Amino acid sequence: MIKTVNLQKLFSTEEVETTALNGINMEIQDGEFVAIMGPSGCGKSTLLNILGLLDNPSAGEYYFWDKEVARMSERQRAQLRKGSIGFVFQSFNLIDELTVFENVELPLLYLKVPSQERKQKVEQVLERMNIMHRRNHFPQQLSGGQQQRVAIARAVVAKPKMILADEPTGNLDSTNGEEVMKLLQELNDAGTTMVMVTHSPYDAGFAHRIINLFDGRVVTENIKEQFHV
Amino acid sequence: MFRNYIKIAWRNLRKSKLLTGVNVLGLAIAFAACILLVLTAWRELSFDQFHTNKGRLQELYITVQRPEGEESRSNFPIPLTPALKQDFPEVKAASRFIAISGSIRYHDKTFQADVKSADADLLKMFSFPLIKGEMHQPLNSLSNVVITANMAKKIFGAEDAINKPVEIYLEGEWKSFIVSAVAKDIPDNSTISFDVVCRFENTPGYVSQKDDWGASSNEVFVQLADHATVAGFERRSGTFVNKYFTAILRDLKRDGVAPGKDGQLMSLHLMPITTIHFNSISSSGGAISKTYPYLLLLIGGFILFIACVNFMNLTIAAAFSRSREIGMRKILGAVKTQLVTQLWGEAVLICLLALVTGLVIAYLLLPGYNALFSNKLSLALLKSPGLLAGVLLGFVLVTLLSGGYPAWAIAKINTLKVLKGSLQAGKSNGLRNVLMVTQFVISSLLICCTLIAWQQLDYLRKMPLGYNRDQVISIPLPYEMDTEQALQRMRNSLSGQTGIAAISGAAINMGRGRDGASQSSIIAMDYKGHSVRSNWLRVDYDYVKALGLTLLAGRDFSQAYGTDSSGLVINEKMAAQLGGVQAALGVQLPVLDSAHPLTVIGVVKDFNFKPLKEDIAPLTMNLVKSWPVQYIFVKVAPGDLQGSMALVKKQWKQLYPGSDIDPSFLDENTDRQYRREQRYSGIFISAAILAIIISCMGLFAISVLVMTRRTREIGVRKVLGASVIGIVALVSKDFVKLVLLSVMIAAPIAWYVMDQWLQDYAYRIHINITVFVAAGGIALLVAVLTVSIQSVRAALMNPIKSIRTE
Repeated sequence: MIKTVNLQKLFSTEEVETTALNGINMEIQDGEFVAIMGPSGCGKSTLLNILGLLDNPSAGEYYFWDKEVARMSERQRAQLRKGSIGFVFQSFNLIDELTVFENVELPLLYLKVPSQERKQKVEQVLERMNIMHRRNHFPQQLSGGQQQRVAIARAVVAKPKMILADEPTGNLDSTNGEEVMKLLQELNDAGTTMVMVTHSPYDAGFAHRIINLFDGRVVTENIKEQFHV
Repeated sequence: MFRNYIKIAWRNLRKSKLLTGVNVLGLAIAFAACILLVLTAWRELSFDQFHTNKGRLQELYITVQRPEGEESRSNFPIPLTPALKQDFPEVKAASRFIAISGSIRYHDKTFQADVKSADADLLKMFSFPLIKGEMHQPLNSLSNVVITANMAKKIFGAEDAINKPVEIYLEGEWKSFIVSAVAKDIPDNSTISFDVVCRFENTPGYVSQKDDWGASSNEVFVQLADHATVAGFERRSGTFVNKYFTAILRDLKRDGVAPGKDGQLMSLHLMPITTIHFNSISSSGGAISKTYPYLLLLIGGFILFIACVNFMNLTIAAAFSRSREIGMRKILGAVKTQLVTQLWGEAVLICLLALVTGLVIAYLLLPGYNALFSNKLSLALLKSPGLLAGVLLGFVLVTLLSGGYPAWAIAKINTLKVLKGSLQAGKSNGLRNVLMVTQFVISSLLICCTLIAWQQLDYLRKMPLGYNRDQVISIPLPYEMDTEQALQRMRNSLSGQTGIAAISGAAINMGRGRDGASQSSIIAMDYKGHSVRSNWLRVDYDYVKALGLTLLAGRDFSQAYGTDSSGLVINEKMAAQLGGVQAALGVQLPVLDSAHPLTVIGVVKDFNFKPLKEDIAPLTMNLVKSWPVQYIFVKVAPGDLQGSMALVKKQWKQLYPGSDIDPSFLDENTDRQYRREQRYSGIFISAAILAIIISCMGLFAISVLVMTRRTREIGVRKVLGASVIGIVALVSKDFVKLVLLSVMIAAPIAWYVMDQWLQDYAYRIHINITVFVAAGGIALLVAVLTVSIQSVRAALMNPIKSIRTE
């Protein structure tokens, strides 16, 4: 599904130049669940941002469904991203001024889905995430676990092919964290490709494959079990 | 999607109540001020625009080269207009126009009325539509009058006015007329106005002056023929002047006067009717200088700009705190145009809220504003298409400037950066600082200008005028009265009473009385082979004493001398034309006719008998009865001024029980001369105060944001031992620097502008540096106080709390 060839990312300020990614070569298959691990500052989030088409690499190639996207403009990337990638963040990133329902509805609005269909899809996904009873609440009125469930609902409502999760349990206690991981696993079982950055070995245990990064390079890859495409 | 925008906009506005409040209130106040100023300016600029023929209507004026310089005026000899119509095919229609009386009578009821005389063409040229009576030739008979609907109602009530007999007080007697037509009321933005108009032949002195090319009285309005041009008319006017003004031209040549720029000693010119309101050459017009309405628009623009800048700074700052939302929207697929639309839409919503609030404020303030600045404005003016379009355009510009730019600036920022919140309010301060400096430049500029204008007016008010104005009561006499007799009777009844020092009279008031009148007449004569010009003032016995003038030589007019009716008292300027103060005494001047010259019996020290805008000119005071006394002057003893005023009123009531007078002290009258300046300086002061308040509202909001950002820094500094004062100084420093810079930029601009303005005054102050220091001090003080509210709060906060904040 996606493939990177010698991916590099440099961050430069007036005085220092930092290499965040230094020649990443990887391939992720459709339906795979991949965890990316590594110490702070090893480039996990940078990689995730590039995979999620939020940022461009400084060098190298990135094939998103066989299409080279590394040199695309922000507008083109936005177009490609819309509807095909869902995001889940450690800090949920819900919009405080919108209710649960409105937050989940937002991606469909940008996809110009008709109102009736939108309502139906949002309700479906809220039921699935078991958060329907909170549909008219604002994010601040929810617990962390509930907020993350809303964020996941928002990430999947447009039925993307891939979900990128950046430490999805980082702000949650273990019970809520477990619940969120189970949700992600369910989604993966239903066919959604899952790429997750995490510090937690426990969470990584849900993945089929763990990629370890260090100083911007892939150092090891552990395949948990045989994975068939 | 649109509903989503509105929803989030509304929730955002409610969430940040302080910022929204500052934004909406600041903008609303600015809108209100701007609406009032625009209405004021619009009204001034709308003067005389309602005439259908306005493109072809002109007022005639003449430029004469004199030894003392060029003189332009719009008063003409009576025979000029018929000659003009005869000699110029360019002139399609022309009318003389002059005020002839102030009283009209129906049966035994007398009414105050503005009675004018004019030629029949007047009603055809100008758009003063008739609504009743003889529609085609209402002034075909010498005894016809046309009155306005309002006047008709006042005189006749519900009765039909047409063909009713009325009487007008002319040349000391009541003359009979018939109402031939009723005209629609004259719009209050018309320079030419009347309550009653009759044929020009009824003008006092018409018969004796109808062939006299030497005296000038009436104004002349012309309508040019369709093919004619102003330039063509003016080119051909040379021949006309040479043909009719032979005597004056001969005298000018004899006196060795140099021709003007056009090579002529005298030349006729035209000014478009739409400009006479702003042209002081016009006797009817010249109410204000054309720069004033534009100045008002500029100030309105300034205030609105200041509020817009607040809006811009606050929107940018607030939007940065919303970076997560904007980032998330971008991730979810929003494109730049969608974000700009959303953010700009929010700005439009706030502006709309502010505009509506502003309109309500303007509506509530309007009666007070009208009263304060003696205007007759109404919000209904906003319905006129031009103004409405202007307001809408202004509104769109405001939303584009205040909301559009921030929206664009935020929407173009890199998604990841916004999402991470790595952009913070106030990190890139360049634009914000420039905008803040601009705000304070404008505020300081307005403060400086206001201070200087106020100083100048104060200077004019307090300047010694050469006559006593605190203890002299001036009484305007009713038109229809035998004024000479009235003066005599008042003199008899008041003299000898305690508190009354002297009584006299004159044809012209000092300053501007409650009747609003101010006028002057000028005479010219030959003396020892050169022409002498002087202001001509009919006075009465004891004038020098009553006004407290200083005699330099000779004596005052006195009833003790039987010959004083042919005597003259002159001022130093006039004496200088006659060879000096001592030499002038006893000089005989052929003022009226050479067979009966008048003799100079006294010379007084120069005094400011005209507004201080003008230098003191030659003045000749006389007792010639053909200029009747119109004002009584009573000098009272210091001490109980109000008691003396009451006494004067009481005596008048006893003598004339049915007649009302409206006396005033001369200091009120001289103050009234500067009413226009006071009115405008009032507007200026209000604008300056508003500008500084709105600037400070913005400063306050920005300081809230900056303090929030620096909370942690302040906490750390406190932990390390910084004092509260030290912290307040630290955070206020940046703002203080900006305000100081603004004052430094504003000061030279203010100096230049006000120096130009002061050139209008013959007597003026010198601009002192203390004004700028004071203005800077005011701006700085207010700014520091504003910022301190926040900085003290931040400095007093428990450091543990502030460190934890981030």
